[in-house]
Amino acid sequence: MKKITTLIALFVVVISSAQTQFEQGMGKAFGLWKEGKNAEASAMFERIAAAEKTSYLPNYYVALINATAVFSEKDKTKIDLLLTKAQDALDQEMIKDQNNAELYVMQALIYTGYVVADPMTNGMKYSGKVMEAYAKAKAIDPNNPRAVFGEADYQLGGAKWTGVDTKPLCAQVDKAIELFATFKPATPFSPKWGLERAVEAQKNCKK
Amino acid sequence: MKTRITFILLLTSIFTFAQSTISGKVVDQKGKPVAGANIYIDGTYDGATSSETGDFSFQTTETGNKFIVVSFLLFETFKQEIDVANYKDQTIKLRENVNTLDAVVITAGTLESGDKARVSVLKPLDIVTTAGSAGNIIAALQTLPGTQNVGEDGRLFVRGGEASETQTFVDGIRVAQPYGATTNNLPTRSRFSPFLFSGIAFSTGGYSAEYGEALSSVLLLNTNDEEDHEKTDISFMTVGLGLGNTQKFKKSSLSVNMMYVNLAPYQAVIPQNVDWNNPYQSLGGETVYRYNFTNGIFKLYASFDSEKFDLNQKNINFENPIRTDMNNNNFYLNSSYKGTFGTGWQLTSGISYGYSKNKITYNITDVDNNENAAQLKLKLQKKVSNYFKLSFGTDYFITKFNENVNDNVSIDVANGYDSNIFAAYTEADILFSKKLAMKVGLRYSNNSLLNENNIAPRASLAYKVSKSSQFSFAYGDFSQTPVVDYIKYSKYHQFESEKARHYILNYQFTKPGQTFRAEAYYKEYDNLVQYDTKNIEYNSVFNNNGSGYAKGIDLFWRDSNLYKNLEYWISYSYIDSERQYKNFPNMATPSFVANHSLSVVTKYFITDWKSQIGFTNSFSSGRPYNDPNQTQFMNGKTKSYNSLSFNWAYLLTTQKILYFSVSNILGTQNIFGYDYAKLPDPNGVYQRQAVVPTADRFFFVGFFWTISQNKNENQLKNL
Repeated sequence: MKKITTLIALFVVVISSAQTQFEQGMGKAFGLWKEGKNAEASAMFERIAAAEKTSYLPNYYVALINATAVFSEKDKTKIDLLLTKAQDALDQEMIKDQNNAELYVMQALIYTGYVVADPMTNGMKYSGKVMEAYAKAKAIDPNNPRAVFGEADYQLGGAKWTGVDTKPLCAQVDKAIELFATFKPATPFSPKWGLERAVEAQKNCKK
Repeated sequence: MKTRITFILLLTSIFTFAQSTISGKVVDQKGKPVAGANIYIDGTYDGATSSETGDFSFQTTETGNKFIVVSFLLFETFKQEIDVANYKDQTIKLRENVNTLDAVVITAGTLESGDKARVSVLKPLDIVTTAGSAGNIIAALQTLPGTQNVGEDGRLFVRGGEASETQTFVDGIRVAQPYGATTNNLPTRSRFSPFLFSGIAFSTGGYSAEYGEALSSVLLLNTNDEEDHEKTDISFMTVGLGLGNTQKFKKSSLSVNMMYVNLAPYQAVIPQNVDWNNPYQSLGGETVYRYNFTNGIFKLYASFDSEKFDLNQKNINFENPIRTDMNNNNFYLNSSYKGTFGTGWQLTSGISYGYSKNKITYNITDVDNNENAAQLKLKLQKKVSNYFKLSFGTDYFITKFNENVNDNVSIDVANGYDSNIFAAYTEADILFSKKLAMKVGLRYSNNSLLNENNIAPRASLAYKVSKSSQFSFAYGDFSQTPVVDYIKYSKYHQFESEKARHYILNYQFTKPGQTFRAEAYYKEYDNLVQYDTKNIEYNSVFNNNGSGYAKGIDLFWRDSNLYKNLEYWISYSYIDSERQYKNFPNMATPSFVANHSLSVVTKYFITDWKSQIGFTNSFSSGRPYNDPNQTQFMNGKTKSYNSLSFNWAYLLTTQKILYFSVSNILGTQNIFGYDYAKLPDPNGVYQRQAVVPTADRFFFVGFFWTISQNKNENQLKNL
């Protein structure tokens, strides 16, 4: 009897350690990212992605790290590499699931990266694609705060020269902030970013 | 107690006993350390990132034989089976990924525009936002080096070659009639609206064996693979009206554009140098249908246009102006399929059909002609590895041309020809490394009308000397059937193909926002058609003994870093070219060649005004003309040509644009050449008449409105 208990206990330990392996790995990768070690964090997420084909999250974060790195990157030759890497990671998940709003938000973010890198060349070409990606995200999940905010924020960014009326866009930002408050991520590692930038945008709206 | 010990022992054994250390160093082919590579055991989380010195080390609980993976974007992913217990201090050599952006590309002769181009001299928008281009693809290309500005013709003249020496291809398939209707010194323009094309490659020489029947140059236009959104475009212009609509379906999309042009209002406002009986009018439409398969894309492009004008032009040989009444109908259909199959195979196939019918009344003579031209094309490409690509294909061109000339007095003749050309080619792309690339090809063609076989070798080589600069060299043999003006008399004379040979040396320097190109070339012409009469007649004595050469230097500089929101480019071409062809008595520079050409194009975006303004200045030195009053042939030279153009696009709202453009704002009185009387006057002097533009200025005002779900979409790209 005792032996059986031991075996069961062992089994549970092994199983639970296997379950937490994903959490541990993800936790470690997030830790690296927080420390500002973007390349290491991205590499860690990549390794998790290679081992865990069922979760979209590791590749999602590979894309997110590389896409957001573009906004602070000064070296134009590196921007293309970062965006290619982000797009490759996203493509792997997009093939598996075309019904995930977060993936379309990510797609919009990558396209925005191209626009920011060279507005004169890419502005016209990618603006339509950015808007289309946000539209798809909203079609899948109208209450996704990142989709609602991202779409408004992108247009606010261009409002300077397109002359778009900012009032309805700012209303969307307000709406997104409400959505952020009620948003419940599906898992502890699911995307939940964006509130800070939305609050920032709200401040600019009130100026 | 016992159990507890067993338990602990077991647990520790799981967590500690199987730990192995994996370590080593990642280097590139030259042995330099690679930092930031991702090294891991496949299927596990165990791994590390290589340090600045390329070193890595990590622990793994895996045992036995496993795959180690090393990935880094700039290199090919490395994968190898290892014994986990015994993998320490190993050196892993990564092979560079030759598909990365910084790999060498062959650039000799080719000027590219578009998304896929690695080095773009023109951006897609440039075609329409270049002042003076007025949405004409050809006019925008005339601001690039290697081209000649021949204002009385409007077509592309490349490096001492006639306009007919340039062939236009849409999605790889030839367009038999790429230009609109024209006659006697009235400039024509491209039939294609620029916004249908996402990529343009303009080769001024040394091009691939895939393209034949062009002595000087090829212009490759590629249609968009997909439309972004459903939309309706409406344009109101001083020269006409336009309407377009795009529908998007799940796997396909359909775009339809209609355009009506009437130059009457413009001709009423701007003083004209000719006397119009009927203004230039055209009604045209084009449609593109695309269907996306899992592994390929099918495209159908069709266009139709009908043009007419009627005018009286002064002619030195006659007292009264001569009337020209022109009617042209043109239809073009192009369908293509491009797809992948198997491992690394790509198939491109297509068919095109062009029909052009002209009804011209010149004074009292009626000239009716029609041309039917078709092409069948099949091309296969096999990517053997990242380093070696092989392509081969065949082409079949069919042309039927008929012309009736009736002077309503005595002459009523019909001439024409049927031509069938079969061609096959093969080409290999070899990348020796990221720095050295080569392309070698061979084209074979058989022309039934000329009853001849041709073999044309082509080769090009590129070497990258540093991160931002490279040299390319290209060589090629080219042949082309003589133009219709000659071969319509094929029943009286057996013509031969005209030939050219190109040697091109190119240097290119690129940095983000900056491109510099310098190209030197030498071109030999051989087998050119000659005749012995004043005009080309059925009973002229023809031969293929003509020859010529062209040599020169082309420079190009484009920069967007100088000043915020300002983009500009400068093109300069020097050319020295002589020919003995047509009815030239000796070697001479043809009238379309100007020794020096300079274009300066600027674009400036003013955020506060929501406007983009642009200036283009085109200058060419004088062009030769023949003055029969002088003993030496082609001894005259016109004064130099200059034209300064301006455009202004103003965004009323995102989807409403007001556009204004004017060419030759300074009103320079340009002279393209002189027409001399066929006979001397009573004093023995040949009188002359200057060839001038139909008007000194062209102006255009348009309002463009886009209706679409996406509020950011507009027609800026159509302007």
